Amino acid sequence: MSRSAPQVLEMHSSATVLTIDFFDTLVSRSVAQPTHVFAVMEEELCRRFGHRWTGFALQRVVAEQIARRKAAITDTNRDVTFDEICSELCELMDLSRDDHHLIADLEKKTEVSLAVAVKFGCDIVSLAREKSMPVLIVSDNYMSAQHIVNMAHAVGLSWVTASDVIVSSEHGAMKHNGTLWDVVLRHLDVSPSLILHVGDDAKADGDVPASRGIATHVNDRMRRSHRHMMNTTPAVLPFSRLEAEYRDSVSSGEWDAAEMFGALVGMIVAGQIVDVRNVLAQREIAGIHFVARDGFLAHSVWSNLRASGVQLPEASYFSFSRSVVWRAGIHVVDELTMARFIGDDEEMTVPRLERRLGCSLDSTIDRTVTISAVTARQILVANSKNILVASATLRERMLSYLQAQGLLEPGHHVVVDLGWTGSSIADLAHIVSEATNGQSVIEGRLTGLYWDAWSQRARVSLHGFAMDDFHTIDDNRRLLGILNLLEVMVTAPHGSVVGYSDSENGVAPIYVDTQVEKEAFEQLVARVSAIGARVATAIVTDSPDSPVKSSDITGETVWAAMMQVGHTPRPEEIAVSGLLRHISAIDHEGAGTALLGDAPTRPKKVNDTFVHDVFNTLMHGHWLQGTLRHWNQKPESAEVVSDIEKRFPFTQPQWVGQ
Amino acid sequence: MLRSSEFDHFASVGSMVAVVMRTYERPIMLARAIASVQNQTFRDWTLIIVNNGGNPGPVEDVVRVAKSATPCGDIQVLHLSERVGMEEASNRGLAATESDFFAIHDDDDSWNARFLEVAVDGMRAHPSAAAVVTGIYRIHELYRDGKIRPVHSEKFYLSEERLTFRGMIGNNTFPPIAALFQRRLLSEIGEFDSSLPVLGDWEFNLRAVLAGGFVYIPERLANYHTRTPDSETASGNSITVGIDLHHQIRGQLQKRWLEEPNIDGVNKGALSIATFAADNPNTVRRVWRKILAGVKNPLRGARAVWRIIRHIVSRLR
Repeated sequence: MSRSAPQVLEMHSSATVLTIDFFDTLVSRSVAQPTHVFAVMEEELCRRFGHRWTGFALQRVVAEQIARRKAAITDTNRDVTFDEICSELCELMDLSRDDHHLIADLEKKTEVSLAVAVKFGCDIVSLAREKSMPVLIVSDNYMSAQHIVNMAHAVGLSWVTASDVIVSSEHGAMKHNGTLWDVVLRHLDVSPSLILHVGDDAKADGDVPASRGIATHVNDRMRRSHRHMMNTTPAVLPFSRLEAEYRDSVSSGEWDAAEMFGALVGMIVAGQIVDVRNVLAQREIAGIHFVARDGFLAHSVWSNLRASGVQLPEASYFSFSRSVVWRAGIHVVDELTMARFIGDDEEMTVPRLERRLGCSLDSTIDRTVTISAVTARQILVANSKNILVASATLRERMLSYLQAQGLLEPGHHVVVDLGWTGSSIADLAHIVSEATNGQSVIEGRLTGLYWDAWSQRARVSLHGFAMDDFHTIDDNRRLLGILNLLEVMVTAPHGSVVGYSDSENGVAPIYVDTQVEKEAFEQLVARVSAIGARVATAIVTDSPDSPVKSSDITGETVWAAMMQVGHTPRPEEIAVSGLLRHISAIDHEGAGTALLGDAPTRPKKVNDTFVHDVFNTLMHGHWLQGTLRHWNQKPESAEVVSDIEKRFPFTQPQWVGQ
Repeated sequence: MLRSSEFDHFASVGSMVAVVMRTYERPIMLARAIASVQNQTFRDWTLIIVNNGGNPGPVEDVVRVAKSATPCGDIQVLHLSERVGMEEASNRGLAATESDFFAIHDDDDSWNARFLEVAVDGMRAHPSAAAVVTGIYRIHELYRDGKIRPVHSEKFYLSEERLTFRGMIGNNTFPPIAALFQRRLLSEIGEFDSSLPVLGDWEFNLRAVLAGGFVYIPERLANYHTRTPDSETASGNSITVGIDLHHQIRGQLQKRWLEEPNIDGVNKGALSIATFAADNPNTVRRVWRKILAGVKNPLRGARAVWRIIRHIVSRLR
């Protein structure tokens, strides 16, 4: 529980002087983390001068790291200067002297334009000034005192002058190593016990001044939106602004991880809607269909937009799943065609096998006995007639259902799905094409596709909005690592479809509601969905309250949002994910697997097989990065993370510029 | 910055870029390759698929599916009734199109969505250049049972130096997927040499580079896909399946160049042979190892030297 400004001053009532940190204590920026300021600059530089500035933001971070290392060689006490950073950047990017001036000027201007007041910091300064306490800003920063004054003025702190600021770059000293505190004490010339310092860094603003007798209060709430510093690129800015907006709105409250999951879901849904609008602008469409459970939310938002008067054509939501489309498309029963219905390592009873194929199976095996995958497939082949009859019945019902949804109307149909290989949509397209003699043509618009889509492209046209199979292999793997998380978060309140039955209004889907999914929905996913719908609606309607507009929604920006949460999750996001499980069985039965995998016991001698096995288990059964960051919090499992990161460098947190 | 008048000569009737895609009986790869073109953020292109004597049905099926993509783009198909050489197929495709620039996009390779955008920008910034070549990822993939799986990818070694005449003379330094060429080259230096079953791109590049130089853009926007040895043979690359043929044709070309008149006192063939040896340190190392082995075992050494001499003579013949 954080303390309010009056409470903090009351706790330190003997203090007669207030010193306060500047960045993220008194003033912050309207982006989630400091390095995203450079992404804003890169956006501007590319807009004005073209592609040669691509990658600027990341290079700017690298340049500062190099400059800091060099500064530490000559003098460990001093902070790096802004000029030194700019010089390193010019070296890295082969920039001219004019460019040097350009970027230095732009960085200062950008910082000022993005400045936002931090409520807690401004409150405590205001109270201190009311009590006539002198206030001194103490900052570890490479910028000048005048720059800090300019930023303070930009957020309305007009009382700040250069004489109220002590900044490390002007004194050859730093808060972190204590030398700047000596400067502060000399400058104030009062007993340390009469000073209260407020800041956001546990060491520089807490331990170090406390060791000199200064009373301290650390409030690191503005840092809660920080993720990995190297992940900075213009594409990350829309999500960064959503994070910053939430950070500022809960500056004194608890951080709700559902908000950031919701912001991610909102950007994905906005992406789905923007993508459909792009298609509508380019061709005649016979029907728009949001499909499978992950299309539910986008369809809800789409329908609400129409209801509120936004000019959009009608769209359907139809339920189908991998299992029903596979079962409805069976024309041959043999070992090969049945292999997809039973995983090689699966074991099951005959009744479960019957539920999986949707028909009764003749077998002499005891119905309570668990059988291997090989035996199960043999039973299926022996029951080919039953399976083909069941498949034909299912296909007929499915087609009736699809007809009611308008999918069998002649023309071009856009089918919107989350992802990931397009195989279900290809199977669906085949069934529909067969039934309509090629009159109904399906185009798959998916949020993400990975390399398995390569083999489907000959069967159906597929478009990956945020990520497609032509991205780098590492990005393909990064997508694979977050599939389970996305499937759990972007879903419907109902279970998966396992069949279709006759109802009063024609044919209706039969859903299987698992306890695991119900609990997940009640505990977290329903809230994430509600936030996602709100965020998506605000974005696609260009709401003035939204920091993200529909024009910000591109494949790159949605991918960046997916990576920020999915690849570099924050501790709060990992913590709530511990509750969630993912159901992956083809029949949607069983308890599924936890999003966060259990840490294995690390052998004394780690070999390649161990690392591969752990990696494969995480990739296929869990949320890869959530699990790795979770393990990283504990020393006993952090070593396994290190093993995996060494063997599979793409799992390292940096996803920009790798 | 370029002034508007400097763009004037790019204006033409056809698309700005013609993409020639040669294919033969690889519908799944063809579908992937077409999608790679359709995904381009730069839209002013015409894709001409040259079905090099293969069954027209599967190609038409793939193209029909591809045409349901949004955006679809301008896709044309040229069915050749009989199979011709790769370079002849390229020439037929180029002859069927009009454009300012052209690219040869093999049916098993792919582009990053920004390839054409960046390459065309590069051409605009360097109007006198013969070609723009981007950085490359080499993707090793397994093709089996109609499925393609990447096994691993690596950064393909390329540099500005390897895109100069001297840099390219010893070896073919980059695959066609990484390049965008000026159409004017076809009238200035001629078409691809249709007599060459492989390495026609190398031979063309060596002529092209003398007609304006190549601009290198290090960003890796081209994906050069090669199948692993355990993939189905029909899916193989000419380089992985026909490595002996590559050696043979390189020898033939070097022999041809030896007979050509010297340029600035340098013979193209001699330079190619010398540069190839220098560019292939493994070959040189192998020779040294054999020499050292020969010191220890004179009889074995003599045999090794004889084999090397025979090899060099056969390549010069």
